[in-house]
Amino acid sequence: MREGFRKELKDLKAEVVGIGRSVIEVTKLATRALVDGDVDIAAEVIAGDDDLDTRCLGIEEHSLEIIATQFPVARDLRLLHSLAYISMHFERMGDLAVNISKAARRTANRRGPQTLYDLIQAQGNLVHRVLEAMLEALEKKDLELAHRLQALDEPIDHLFKQFFRELARLQDEEDIEWASSMVLASRYLERIADHAVDIGERITYMVTGEFEQVGEDTPEANT
Amino acid sequence: MTPSTAASSGASAAPHANKITVRDLDFFYGDFQALTDITVGIKERGITAFIGPSGCGKSTFLRCFNRMNDLIPSAKVGGTILIDDEDIYAVGVDPVDLRRRVGMIFQQPNPFPMSIYDNVAFGPRLHGVTKKAGLDEVVQRSLERANLWKEVKDILPRGGLTLSGGQQQRLCIARVLAVEPDIMLMDEPCSAIDPTSVQKIEDLMDELKDRITIIIVTHNMQQAARVSDETAFFLQERTGEPAELVEFGRTADIFTSPKDRRTEDYITGRFG
Repeated sequence: MREGFRKELKDLKAEVVGIGRSVIEVTKLATRALVDGDVDIAAEVIAGDDDLDTRCLGIEEHSLEIIATQFPVARDLRLLHSLAYISMHFERMGDLAVNISKAARRTANRRGPQTLYDLIQAQGNLVHRVLEAMLEALEKKDLELAHRLQALDEPIDHLFKQFFRELARLQDEEDIEWASSMVLASRYLERIADHAVDIGERITYMVTGEFEQVGEDTPEANT
Repeated sequence: MTPSTAASSGASAAPHANKITVRDLDFFYGDFQALTDITVGIKERGITAFIGPSGCGKSTFLRCFNRMNDLIPSAKVGGTILIDDEDIYAVGVDPVDLRRRVGMIFQQPNPFPMSIYDNVAFGPRLHGVTKKAGLDEVVQRSLERANLWKEVKDILPRGGLTLSGGQQQRLCIARVLAVEPDIMLMDEPCSAIDPTSVQKIEDLMDELKDRITIIIVTHNMQQAARVSDETAFFLQERTGEPAELVEFGRTADIFTSPKDRRTEDYITGRFG
């Protein structure tokens, strides 16, 4: 009986890690769609979001079922609660990837200054690094790595600010319209990384039972 | 070993906040030491749950509070138990009077083979209430507080043993309440009754805890989590060794983030 319960927890965690892997993938695709102006890739990300939402909802439902039937406590309870919470973050990160893809569709018919594409690509690479670290911390319950997420996130915020400065140099009105979509996309990328930092706090709670707020900038606060 | 908790130091930190203060308690059955070095403060009012695997000394510890263990010839208690700052093992303490102040409910409901009325009136009669009007009042009040009055008010002369198991347990609670205790010890009070009756007893405990300090020994961890404010986890690590209090703290903390790995392993079903 209890063995079945443990397997269920293990499988649920594996599913959440799988969703995390998909989130990394769609974030990468959305960035590519934006940088390359590829509307087909953007459409692919947008179309896949329903499936991602369903999988995240499945985690929440499954966690509730286990809580209702198995009376998990202590580390098991923290794991279940955290998995449900993390999948909620994943769902939002997926939505942000969709928003980036929509920005890619809006900007694809025009090629702006290369510097800004380079900045977005650099930001995308850094976000990718944070997401990979977050997923590894979750998979291995690696506290040290979970704590490092905040530091990994910092350069992303700096790049977002640099993006704004570059934007100020634009003169042409069309450029400005184009750039406003790009700056939003840059903002979405930055928020995806913020979610990863929040997940890091959740991983810490899952492992230690202690809540630790590593930064003040939560994605909610930035909305 | 000192349990991993801040509450265990309650005895020295804030003696008056505790109804029961236990210091350095050891308990022996002859040569066998059953409990070792227990220091804990049980807060006034509220519900404290004792949990742990079978044979870990929870019931033995519980029985120290009303000196039920005195009835076992080889039993020996070391250390101190204070109730309201009074040492209950001091010379001159009357165990019968102590047991009026510290009532006890057992696993199997044990009504006396007499009427419902006489079961509840038994204690007050023993303590000198003889007038019928006075007894009627105590019987009704006690049955009301035990949430049994409505079910039995028309059948008071009927035998206590004719009631259902859950009703019998509430009758026993009414019998304890009739002598106005300030502490009620409950040794697995719900393990022999049906789920509906369990719920009634848990509701009753919740009502009573505003006036009475309740300590419950339970093997049902969901019950401990549901009903208690604080939880103590006991463990005998190896056969033949005495049991110890491993961890004591707020129930919500014990069941979400226990400090001791042994508590965590036990409550998550990894042993025991």
